[in-house]
Amino acid sequence: MTTQDIRVSPLGQVEGDLDVKVTVTDGVVTSAWTEAAMFRGFEIILRGKDPQAGLIVTPRICGICGGSHLYKACYALDTAWRTHVPPNGTRVRNIAQACETLQSIPRWFYAIFAPDLTAAQYAGAELYEEVTRRFAPYVGTSYQRGVTLSAKPVEVYAIFGGQWPHSSFMIPGGVMCAPTLSDVTRSIAILKAWKEDWLEQQWLGCSIERWMQNQTWADVMAWVEENESQRDSDCGLFLRYAQQIGLDTYGQGYGNYLAAGTFLHPESYQNPTIEGRNAALMARSGIFVAGQDYDFDQARVSEDVTHAFYRGTGSRHPFEGVTEPIDPAEGAKQGKYTWAKAPRYDVPDHGFVPLETGPLARQVIAGKPATEAYQDHDPLMRNVVAEVGPNVLTRVLARTHEAAKYYVRVMAWLDELDLHADFYTKPTEHAEGKGFGGTEAARGALCDWIVLEDGKIANYQVITPTAWNIGPKDGDGVNGPMEQAFVGTPVSNVEFPVELANVAHSYDSCLVCTVHAYDGRTGKEITRFRVDGLG
Amino acid sequence: MAEAPTLVVGCGNLIRGDDAAGPVLVRVLAERGVPANVRLLDAGTAGMDVGFAMRGMRRVVLVDASRVGVEPGAVHRVPGEELVDLEPPRGGNLHRFRWDQALGFARWLLGEDYPEQVEVWLIEGASFEPGDPLTPAVAAAVDALADRLVEELAA
Repeated sequence: MTTQDIRVSPLGQVEGDLDVKVTVTDGVVTSAWTEAAMFRGFEIILRGKDPQAGLIVTPRICGICGGSHLYKACYALDTAWRTHVPPNGTRVRNIAQACETLQSIPRWFYAIFAPDLTAAQYAGAELYEEVTRRFAPYVGTSYQRGVTLSAKPVEVYAIFGGQWPHSSFMIPGGVMCAPTLSDVTRSIAILKAWKEDWLEQQWLGCSIERWMQNQTWADVMAWVEENESQRDSDCGLFLRYAQQIGLDTYGQGYGNYLAAGTFLHPESYQNPTIEGRNAALMARSGIFVAGQDYDFDQARVSEDVTHAFYRGTGSRHPFEGVTEPIDPAEGAKQGKYTWAKAPRYDVPDHGFVPLETGPLARQVIAGKPATEAYQDHDPLMRNVVAEVGPNVLTRVLARTHEAAKYYVRVMAWLDELDLHADFYTKPTEHAEGKGFGGTEAARGALCDWIVLEDGKIANYQVITPTAWNIGPKDGDGVNGPMEQAFVGTPVSNVEFPVELANVAHSYDSCLVCTVHAYDGRTGKEITRFRVDGLG
Repeated sequence: MAEAPTLVVGCGNLIRGDDAAGPVLVRVLAERGVPANVRLLDAGTAGMDVGFAMRGMRRVVLVDASRVGVEPGAVHRVPGEELVDLEPPRGGNLHRFRWDQALGFARWLLGEDYPEQVEVWLIEGASFEPGDPLTPAVAAAVDALADRLVEELAA
C-alpha cells in the first residue's frame, strides 16, 4: 500500500486563497483538508458603521457575485427596518439577481469547468477529439461563443443597475431606478438573442420548452438520443462524454443539502419579515437530509470556530456571532487550520450537520411538493440524484438546468413590470432591530444577519456559499461538504490530478486557489506557479 | 458620433486597503468631472468584464494597485512594449484577474477591435488589510495621478 499527501490547487494556475490537501492511498483520496487563507475582515469593518454600509461593503467580497450580495444585504435591512417594498422593486431585484446567475452559467461551464475535460488523461475517450475541438480554452469553437455571449445577461443588469458589477442600486424599500419602456424592450431583446444564440442553438440544440419537459434521468437520457441536434449540442456532448470519463462515479459528498431560496414573490413580500420569508419565496428554501425534507429556519444556522483561526471553540448563531481573529501560528497549536468558519445547521433529529449548497441543493429542494402556484416545483434533479446519485456530472446538470428556468422567470418579471407604479417606498430608518436577508447566488445560499443598535451596526455576519461548501471540520472532526466530496475520488496521475479539479470546479467555489502540488512521500514540490499580485 | 471613445477603468478591491487605489481614482475623476466622451468604470475585482467593457473604445486607461516592493505611492506607467504580447490567463478562476490577464483576455476577446491606445498605470500599495483606508502615500499618489489624467483627458 502506498500513501502519499499531495497539496493541489483544484482551481488552477493563479495565486489564491484556498488550498486543498489530500491524502491519496492506492490511487484514491482517503482524506482531505480545505484551507482558506482569506480572513473574514469585512465583518469587523462593518461593526459600528452606518446601517447601509453592508450594501457597499458586502458586494465587494466577491467580484462576480456582487449583485447577489447586494440582493441579500438589502433584504437584511428591509427586515430590520420593516420597510415596504413595492412589487416593482422586488421584480427588478429578481431580474438583476437572475441575470447575474444567467451570466455565470455559461461563463463557469466554458471558462472554468470544461477546460479540464480536455486534459491529456482523457485522450483515450471516444469523444475526446470533439470535446477538445469545442472546449479547449480560447480556441475551442464553443468556448469562444459561450464566453463571448456570457456577457449579454449582465447588460440587462446594467440597464436597471447602472453598471455591472458593483452597483448599489438596490436600497431598502426598493430599487433606485425608473426604467422606461425602451429599457424593458431592450432587455427583452438582449435576453431573447442570448437564449436563441447560446441556450437553444448551442447548449440545448432544442427549444427550452422541449428541455423543460424532462422530469427524470431517463427523460434526459432519452432526450440526448432523440435527434442529432440534441445529441450534438454542447449539453448532449457533455452528458455522453461525462459518462465515458466517469464524472458520474465520484465527487458524491454527503447528499445532504441546504437552500436559502431566492426570488421573493413580488405581491407576497411587500412587507419583508424574517418569519414571512419562506412562504414568499418562488425558488424555495429547504433542508434535505438523509432523504427527508425540513423547513429552512435561519435560527438553526450556526458557525463553528473550533478549527478556524478565531478565538474559542464551539458554535454560535450569526446574530451572536463573533469574529475575533487570532495569530494562525497560535491557532495551529490548537488544531486550527483555516480562516473559514464551519457553518452548520441544526437539523431536527440529526443535530449539527454540514450541508452542501449550490444549484444541485436548490434543485433537489425544488422537488418537494409545492403549495402555492408561484412556487417552483421541479422533480428533475431529485430524480437524477435518486437514480445516479450526487456526483460531478449531477452538479453540472443542475447548474446548467437553471439557465432555462431562470430565463423563463426573468421574461415573466419583465413582462409584469408596471412602469407607472412605484419602484421604491421611503423607509423609516429605525435605530434598533435585527434583520436577515438571504438569496441564492450562482454558487449557492448567501445570507446576511444584521443587528442594529443606536442607529449603527452592532453585529454583521455573512455566510457565503463557499463557506458552506469549503468549511473545515467541526468540533467533532466531521468533514466539511467539499472535504467529504473529495474522499473516494480516484487520482490517476498525482502530477496532474484532474479528477480533483473536476470535483472542486463542480462546486464553483469563490476562492482562488494556490497552485502547489507536493508529493508527500518524497516531499518534492511537483508544481508551482506563484503569481504575486492583487486585483 | 462614436460613443465614449475613451474608457478609464479602476481595478482592485475597494475594501482591501491600498488595493482600492484604482476604484478610488475613478471616483475622484467622477467628482472632478471628465469630458463627455470619457466613460469611467469601477471594475472592482471582476477582471474578465474589463475585456467586455473595452469593446468599442479607442483609448483605454487602466489603473491598478501593485505590490512589487518599491516605495509605497510610487506611480508607474507600464511601458507600451510590455503590453504587446499579453496572454489571456490559462484555466483557473474568474475571481481574480490581474490587469495583465484582463488585457490578455481582452486581446483574445476583441481581436481586431482591441482599442488602438491602451495604457496602464500602477500605484504601489503599502497595506492590503481588509477595511483599511488608503495609506497617505497612496492617497497622495491617487490625487496626483487624477490631476494628470484630468488634464490629459481634456486635451
